[in-house]
Amino acid sequence: MLEIHELVAKVEGKQILNGLNLTIKPGEVHAIMGPNGAGKSTLGNVLTGRAGYEVVSGDVTFNGKNLFELEVEERAREGVFLAFQYPVEIPGVSNMEFLKASVDARRKHLGLPELSSFDFMKLARESSQKVSLDPAFLKRGVNEGFSGGEKKRNEIMQMMLLEPGLCILDETDSGLDIDALQVVAAGVNAMRDNHRSFIVVTHYQRLLDYIVPDYVHVLANGKIVRSGDKELAKELEAKGYSWLEKESV
Amino acid sequence: MSEQVESLIRKEYAAGFHSAIESDTLAPGLDEDTVRFISAQKQEPEWMLDWRLKAFRAWRDMAEPTWAHVHYPEIDFKSISYYSAPKSMKDRPKSLDEVDPELIATYEKLGIPLHEQAALAGVAMDVVFDSVSVVTTFREKLREVGVIFCPISDAIREYPELVKKYMGSVVPQKDNFYAALNSAVFSDGSFVYIPKGVRCPMELSTYFRINELNTGQFERTLIIADEGSHVSYLEGCTAPMRDENQLHAAVVELVALDDAQIKYSTVQNWYPGDKDGKGGIYNFVTKRGVAHKNARISWTQVETGSAVTWKYPSCILKGDNSVGEFYSVALTNNFQQADTGTKMIHLGKNTRSTIVAKGISAGRSNSAYRGLVRINPTAEGARNYTQCDSLLIGDRCGAHTFPYIETKNASAVIEHEATTSKVSDDQLFLCQQRGLDAEKAVSMIVNGFCREVFKELPMEFAVEAGKLLEVSLEGSVG
Amino acid sequence: MSAPTSNSRQSIPAPQSPFQKHALALAAMQNITGTAAGSLLNLRQQGSHEFERATWPGRKVEHWKYTSVQSLISYENASWAGPATLSREFLQQQLIPLQATRLIFVDGVFDPTMSDMMPEGVSLFSQADVEAADIIDNYLGKVAGSVDASRRNLFASLNSAWTQDGLLIHVAHNVILEKPVYLVYVNSPQQSAVTNVRTLLVMEQSANLQLVEHFLSADSSVASHNFVNAMTEIQLGQNAQLHHTRLNLEQESVSHIGAVHINLMRDSAYNGFTVSEGSKLKRLDYQMNHCGQGASLILDGVYLARHDQQVDYHTCIEHRVPHCTSQQVFRGIVGDKAKAVFNGRIHIFEDAQKTLAEMSNRNLLTSNTAEINTKPELEIYADDVKCAHGATISQLDETALYYLMSRGISPAQAHTLLSFGFINELLASQPLEAVNTWLETWLRNRFSEDRSLISDIKPAVGTGGSH
Repeated sequence: MLEIHELVAKVEGKQILNGLNLTIKPGEVHAIMGPNGAGKSTLGNVLTGRAGYEVVSGDVTFNGKNLFELEVEERAREGVFLAFQYPVEIPGVSNMEFLKASVDARRKHLGLPELSSFDFMKLARESSQKVSLDPAFLKRGVNEGFSGGEKKRNEIMQMMLLEPGLCILDETDSGLDIDALQVVAAGVNAMRDNHRSFIVVTHYQRLLDYIVPDYVHVLANGKIVRSGDKELAKELEAKGYSWLEKESV
Repeated sequence: MSEQVESLIRKEYAAGFHSAIESDTLAPGLDEDTVRFISAQKQEPEWMLDWRLKAFRAWRDMAEPTWAHVHYPEIDFKSISYYSAPKSMKDRPKSLDEVDPELIATYEKLGIPLHEQAALAGVAMDVVFDSVSVVTTFREKLREVGVIFCPISDAIREYPELVKKYMGSVVPQKDNFYAALNSAVFSDGSFVYIPKGVRCPMELSTYFRINELNTGQFERTLIIADEGSHVSYLEGCTAPMRDENQLHAAVVELVALDDAQIKYSTVQNWYPGDKDGKGGIYNFVTKRGVAHKNARISWTQVETGSAVTWKYPSCILKGDNSVGEFYSVALTNNFQQADTGTKMIHLGKNTRSTIVAKGISAGRSNSAYRGLVRINPTAEGARNYTQCDSLLIGDRCGAHTFPYIETKNASAVIEHEATTSKVSDDQLFLCQQRGLDAEKAVSMIVNGFCREVFKELPMEFAVEAGKLLEVSLEGSVG
Repeated sequence: MSAPTSNSRQSIPAPQSPFQKHALALAAMQNITGTAAGSLLNLRQQGSHEFERATWPGRKVEHWKYTSVQSLISYENASWAGPATLSREFLQQQLIPLQATRLIFVDGVFDPTMSDMMPEGVSLFSQADVEAADIIDNYLGKVAGSVDASRRNLFASLNSAWTQDGLLIHVAHNVILEKPVYLVYVNSPQQSAVTNVRTLLVMEQSANLQLVEHFLSADSSVASHNFVNAMTEIQLGQNAQLHHTRLNLEQESVSHIGAVHINLMRDSAYNGFTVSEGSKLKRLDYQMNHCGQGASLILDGVYLARHDQQVDYHTCIEHRVPHCTSQQVFRGIVGDKAKAVFNGRIHIFEDAQKTLAEMSNRNLLTSNTAEINTKPELEIYADDVKCAHGATISQLDETALYYLMSRGISPAQAHTLLSFGFINELLASQPLEAVNTWLETWLRNRFSEDRSLISDIKPAVGTGGSH
C-alpha cells in the first residue's frame, strides 16, 4: 500500500532524510525508532505534505498514487492520517464542528453521503467514550485547554472517526502516563485489521509492549539502518542507539 | 502567510453593480442654499429647516477630527452632491406597484425582495436609495399594534412632536464634525416608535444603498422605545463599485425609556474599494443610545465594507440598572482601514456593560479598536467587562487596541482583556491534514473567532454575516 | 484621542507659555565647563530648540489628557535650588541600609562629603576625562533621541536644555560590578526652586550592574516645593544585564517629572522596578526600545496616591526587532481625592516577528472621590507575535476576605492585610534583599498611618459583566 523509494528531504535547507526506503503492506504495523534528530518526525510530515518540508528526490506511492502530486488535504482524503506529536490548538472552533467537517470531506471523497448531524453526534460520542474522553470535550475548541494526554486521545478519536488507510502515529506516547498510554494503544489495536496499516514513530520501546509491531526499523542519520521484529526494539532499549549510529555513518 | 494557501482565488464585490435609474441629483456644493433645498424637497416645516441651519452654521466652524488611526486624502466637502433621488420618486409611489421596476430589480439582485408577500418572513423593511426612502413594507400591519415605522421625512411631517422631542437629544447637532454635517444635510432614514409595553411583532430593518456617483449619503435614524417596550432592528448597506471615494456620514439615535429594550444590528458592507485600495466608501458614523431605568441597549455590528470606517456605537447608561452591550466584528482586507469601538458611559447605579470586539486584519489593512469605559461618581456598583481580540492574517496588516478606562467610583468592577493571534500555519496544516481545504479551514477559524458576536445577531443575519466574512476574506490568505 | 495621526491638518504654532519662557531664561544662567563641555553645549542647544517650539500640553494633547501641568505656573519665577547640606543623622535614618556605592545629590548637586568614592567608570560630566567625554559624546541625548520626534516628551527636551552637569556610569566590557550603585537624590526644603537631574548609564557587552535610584525629601517636617526634572538614559550593550530600581518617594509638595529611556541591544536584559507615591504633580515616563534580537525586558511598577496627590505613569515599549520579550506588571492603590493614570503602550514593528509582549495593570480604588484612568494600548504590525494586555479596577477579593475572617481576623485587619498583600506581592519578587526589607517597612508604615489606602469598599451585589 505504501512504497517509499530513496526519499531525500530537507527542512530549512538542512537535509534530514537521506535516501529512505520502506514498503508497507496492508494490515502491517511498522514501528520506527531512533535517536532524537534522526528524522522520525520528518518522515510523517513529509508523507502528509507539511509546508517547509522539501522533497529533494525519491518517490512515494500510496495505493498506487504518487503522494507528492497531491495537496495536504487530498492526501488526507485518500486516507493518510497523521496523529500529531504536538496537536495544535484552534480556539473558537469546536471539536464537533471540526470533526464533522473532516469526516464530511473524507466521505464526500469516498462517494459516501454526508452523515446527518444526529448520526454524526452519536458516532462522535461513541468514539469519545472509546478513548475515555468526556463527550463534553466535543463542544470545546479544538484542543483548547486540553491536557497533553487529552490532546493525544483526541488525536486517536479523530483517527477512529476518519477511518484512514494509513495511520502515522508521531510520538503519540511521549509524555503519556501509563493509563493514557493504554487507552491510546487500545484505540489503535481496535482499529487494526487486514487492510489498515500503521507507522508508529516512537522514542520508547514501552509503547511496543502495547502495540505489537510486525516490523521494527531503526532510523539514524536519515535512513533506515536496521530492520527486525519486536525483539529489535528490546535490544535498542537495552543498548541505546549509538552502536547503530556509528554503523550508519 | 504560508505558501500553501497563496493560490486562493478572489471574488468580486458582489453588490458592486450600478443601476441605470434616472435620478434628480443636486449639483455638488455645500452652503446654506443646499440645506434649504434639501429641506424644501422634503417639504419640511420651518422648525426643521431652522434646526438644520443651526447645525450647518456650527459645522462651518468645526474641524475634521484627526485622532483616529486612519489615513485618507482630505475630503473636499464642496465637491459632493448632497441630494439624489430616483426620478420616479417625485410623486411618491402609493404602493409597490407604482415603484420603478428597475428599482425593484435592483433590490432583488441584492437579495432583498420588496414585495411583502416575498419579503423575509417577520421582517418589516424600510429601503433607502441614495437620499430617499423608496418603500416601507408592513407599515400598516405594524400600525395596528401602534408601532410607527416610516421614513424619517414622513415622521417630521406626521409626528412632529416626537421628532422635536427626541431628534438631537442623544446626538446633539454639534456633537462632532460629521454629526453636525449630517444634522444639516441629512436626507432620509428610518423612524421607529414603539409604544409603551409593546413588543414589536417583527424585526424592523432598513436597507441602505448608495447608487449615484459623487453622492454623499447622510441618513438619520431615530428609534424610540417607550416604557417597557421591545424592538429588534437591523440595518444593511451596499454601494456600487466606483473608483472615486464616496462619503457616508450617518447619525443613529436610540432612546430606550424605562424598562425598554432595543437591539440594533448592523451588517455593513459598503463598497470597500478594490484590491489596490482604489475607491470605496468613507464611513463616518455617529451612533449612540440613551438607556433609562432598567433599559437595555445592545449594539451588534459586523463591519466588512468601506474603505475607511470611523464608528463608535455608544451607550449612555443613564438610568439605574440599565445595561449596554456592544458586540462587534470588524474585518479589514486589502487597503481597508477601520477605527471602531464603543463608549460606555455609566451614570446610573448598578449599570452594566459588556464589550466584545473582534478585529480581523488581512492584506495591508489596519483595524483598530478604540473604546471608552467611563464610570462616573454616581455609578455606584457599575460593572464593565471588555474583551478585545485581534486576529491577523498575513504579515503586512496591523491590529491596534486603544482602550480608555476612566473610573471615579470605588465600587465599580472593570475588567479589560485584549489578545492578538494569527491564523497559524500549524492550524492550517492540522485542518488540511484532516482533509479540509485551506479556504474552508480559514473560514472555520475566522468564524470560530467571531462566534461570540455572531450568536448575538438575529438568525438570518448570523448566516449572512458568516458568508460575508468568507467572501470578504477571499484572496487575503496569500 | 489617539497618538499617531498623519492627518496632520492642524499644525498651529504653539504660543509659548510663561513657564516655557522662564525655563529658557533659567537655562541661560548656567555655566558649562570641563572636557565634555562641547557635547553638553550641543545637547543643551538642541533641547532648548525643541522645548521652545513644543506645544504646551493641555487636555487635548493625548499624552497629557489626564494630567494637568497647570500647577507649574508656580515656578514662573522660580530660581535654581540653592546649595544645602544634609546631616549624617538624616542619612542614617532615611536611606536604605544597602551595601553599595552610595552617591548623594542634594537638589541636583553632587555632595562629595556625604558620598562614597566613585568607582572606575563613574564620573560627573563636569569632571569627565577624555575617555568619559567620548562616551558622553556618543550616547548622551542619543538614547532619548532615538524616539520618533513626534512622540518626544517636551520635558525630556527641557531636561537636555537644563543639563549643566550629570552623572556618567560606564560599565566596561565583561565587567560585573559586585556592589550595587545607589544614587540618592534629596530635595531640601525650598520654596519654588527647580532642579535638574541627568544620568547616563552605558553598559558595554556582557556588563552587569544593579542600580538603585532613590528620590526623597530631606526633612519631612518642612515642605519642599521643588520642581524636579530627572532623566536617566540607559544604553544596554550586547548581552548586558541591568537590574534597575527607581523609587520616587518625595514629599507630596514636590513636583516631579521623570523619565527613563532605555535602548536594549542584542541579548541584553533589563529588569526594572519602579515605586512611586503621588505628589502635587508626578509624571513618570519609561521609554524602552528593543534594538537587538533576543533582548528581554521586565518592568514592574507600584503606585500609591492619597490626599489630593496625583501620579501618572506612561510606559512605551517599542519592539523594533524580532525575538524580543517584554513583560510589564503595574499595580496601584488610589484613595481620598487622588488621581492615578497608567498609559502603557506596546508597539510592534512590521519586522518584529516572534515577539512576546505582555502587560497587566491592576488597580484598587478606595474612595469615591478618587480617580483612575488606565489605557493599555497595543499597536501591532507583525502577525507572528503573542501579545496580551489586561487591566482591572476592582475591590479586594471577597473570598479571600471571608477566608481571613473565618480564621478570626477582624474585617479591618483583613482589609489591611489584603491591601498590603496586593502591593507587597510585587515588592517580594525583587532581588536586592535590603531594598525589599526597606520597602516593606515603608509600605507597612503607609498602611498603618492612615487608612485611606486600604480598600474596604464592598463590591455591589450582583455578578460582574452583564451576562
